[in-house]
Amino acid sequence: MAVDLIQIKNLKAYFFQGKGILSKIFGQGLKIIHAVDGINLNIKKGRTFGLVGESGSGKSTLGNTIFRLVEPLEGEILFQGSDVVKMNQTELRKFRQKAQLIFQDQFGCLNPRMSSGQIIAEPLMMHHGQQKSQQEIAQDVADLLRAVNLDPEASVKFPHELSGGQARRIGVARAIALNPDFIVADEPTSGLDISTAATILNLMQDLQEKMDITYLWISHNMNQVRYMSDDMAVMYLGKVVETGPTGEVFDQRAHPYTRALISAVPQVFPGKKKETIFLEGEIPSPINPPSGCRFRTRCPQVFKRCEEEEPPLIDLGGEHFCACHLHDR
Amino acid sequence: MSEPLLEVSNLTLNYNLGSRKIRALDKVSFSLNRGEVLGVAGESGCGKSTLGLAIIRLLPRVAEIKRGEIIFEGTDLLKLSEEQMDRNIRGRKVTMIFQNPQNALNPVFRIETQMMDILRIQNKHKLSGTRKRRRDFKQEAIERLKVTGIADPEARISNYPFEFSGGMKQRVMIGMALSSGTSLLLADEATTSLDVTIEAQINRLITDLASQYGTSVLYISHNLGVLSEVADHIMIMYAGRVFEMGRTDDVFGSPRHPYSAALLKSLPGRRTRRNRLLSISGFVPPLDRLPPGCSFHPRCHFAKEMCRQKQTPPLIEVSKGHWSACLLDQKRGRQKWQWI
Repeated sequence: MAVDLIQIKNLKAYFFQGKGILSKIFGQGLKIIHAVDGINLNIKKGRTFGLVGESGSGKSTLGNTIFRLVEPLEGEILFQGSDVVKMNQTELRKFRQKAQLIFQDQFGCLNPRMSSGQIIAEPLMMHHGQQKSQQEIAQDVADLLRAVNLDPEASVKFPHELSGGQARRIGVARAIALNPDFIVADEPTSGLDISTAATILNLMQDLQEKMDITYLWISHNMNQVRYMSDDMAVMYLGKVVETGPTGEVFDQRAHPYTRALISAVPQVFPGKKKETIFLEGEIPSPINPPSGCRFRTRCPQVFKRCEEEEPPLIDLGGEHFCACHLHDR
Repeated sequence: MSEPLLEVSNLTLNYNLGSRKIRALDKVSFSLNRGEVLGVAGESGCGKSTLGLAIIRLLPRVAEIKRGEIIFEGTDLLKLSEEQMDRNIRGRKVTMIFQNPQNALNPVFRIETQMMDILRIQNKHKLSGTRKRRRDFKQEAIERLKVTGIADPEARISNYPFEFSGGMKQRVMIGMALSSGTSLLLADEATTSLDVTIEAQINRLITDLASQYGTSVLYISHNLGVLSEVADHIMIMYAGRVFEMGRTDDVFGSPRHPYSAALLKSLPGRRTRRNRLLSISGFVPPLDRLPPGCSFHPRCHFAKEMCRQKQTPPLIEVSKGHWSACLLDQKRGRQKWQWI
């Protein structure tokens, strides 16, 4: 019943860090940052796909790569059947109407010299500027502000006059201005108070229902991903270590990393002490990722094979996959 | 068994901004025992950070303490001179760690230099400045890094801050904050910028220190989950006032104030799935234009006439060790606070 809106196949995006022009020519001293390293994902239409992982795991880079804000090195991104990677500028422009990004920094993504009305009107002018009159666009802006539960009078305010939650709503209004099919929400509640975060979550759910939007929900907040998403993937150092329906992943926690990550999430549990699995150390550098399984340097259940061989994603049934040798019998 | 280390009573503080007087703290009273962790929660702008800064007296110049006492180990910190604060309290008995470890370290000096600076200041009265002392300081700095769980401290101590990750910088900050005589640690959103796995490590470090060395911690955070795991007691603040206070299990298990109940309800919980989260309508009022009566009444679903008229509801002990500042709860007995 649910069709895939986006299929990502073996996507790779590396960053290159060199000392200077000589290293670019001779390739010496060039460091390769394996930010996104062979990702396969299917995002179903009308659903929310959660993407979690620590900072440096490549989740934001993956989000940016889908829009070709970061050029992928290899792989395919199929959006409604056509490959984003191979699109030319005209096609890309069309694609960017249907797919939108909500940025992590709610103030940084708003031009401080434009009023919120102008910010929301900008995509409308760019894409419908010829067909619509000024008044129609102003009307659309007012409708959009109402859709994100802001007073249409807010359109005259500048970003510095807005609170964090309001700025975030302007970001949402701009993202939905062109009636997109797909929105990448990169940490959409970071820096917001609890109750403000709750309003944003409610709002985004309402919009999804009303406008049939598909979300890629990037967050390091496990509680939120559990609450919002239907399917999810856990990333570690540029790789997906576990993916599947959110309920399955949380119940089974097939990968030791998923288990540790979920156990480390602070919960309000009066009267109960839960078992936290403490991971020693920190996420290794993506410049020189460990051989074999990338998680092995911190894994509590590491054994010999982990060093020698990289675990493939193993099918656990019910669209649940996990990349760990423990599941390979 | 436990004696109070810190007793704050009736602390009232204004920020004087030209013609505007902003009451950032209003009759804040609480006590903190030795070796205990007190969690301070609330939305931004409710006075959590101001409280921490007031205790260590690092407030900006526009702040004016109107009333109140901060009794720490028997002396009122508000009566001490700046010099006495520097000599005995700040950075010695009372230390603070901040939200952004990257901003708290100087990027152009080695960790070694920065840690030894602190040690030298902490030992100022015994300072002789000989070479031998220097070596001792370095040894102690290495010791502290070891305590905070940094691997290979002998080598890492000569690194620069940019060579450390966020979690490790926060460890360095904690290492600096710990002197042998520290009895109160003020942690202001100490783990907010860190990943969950690193956050768990740092929180374990802080609670270990509390239980091993008897250090008391004032743990300021907006993350109720974190507080629930580290804190023995919780204090919920709103618009500069204490709304609820008590043992963590009591406050989170059976909140007596509708605001606490609402905060808990607005978290995406474990079992809730696709049922709407509670969002408290409106926002924290500007502190110079607080509504009369209970400052939360315009946003409160249960507000009655008396909440609007009466004076500010007092903080009253509603059951043993559990304090709440809700009139309805006080007048009508325990309420359920079923927010919809």
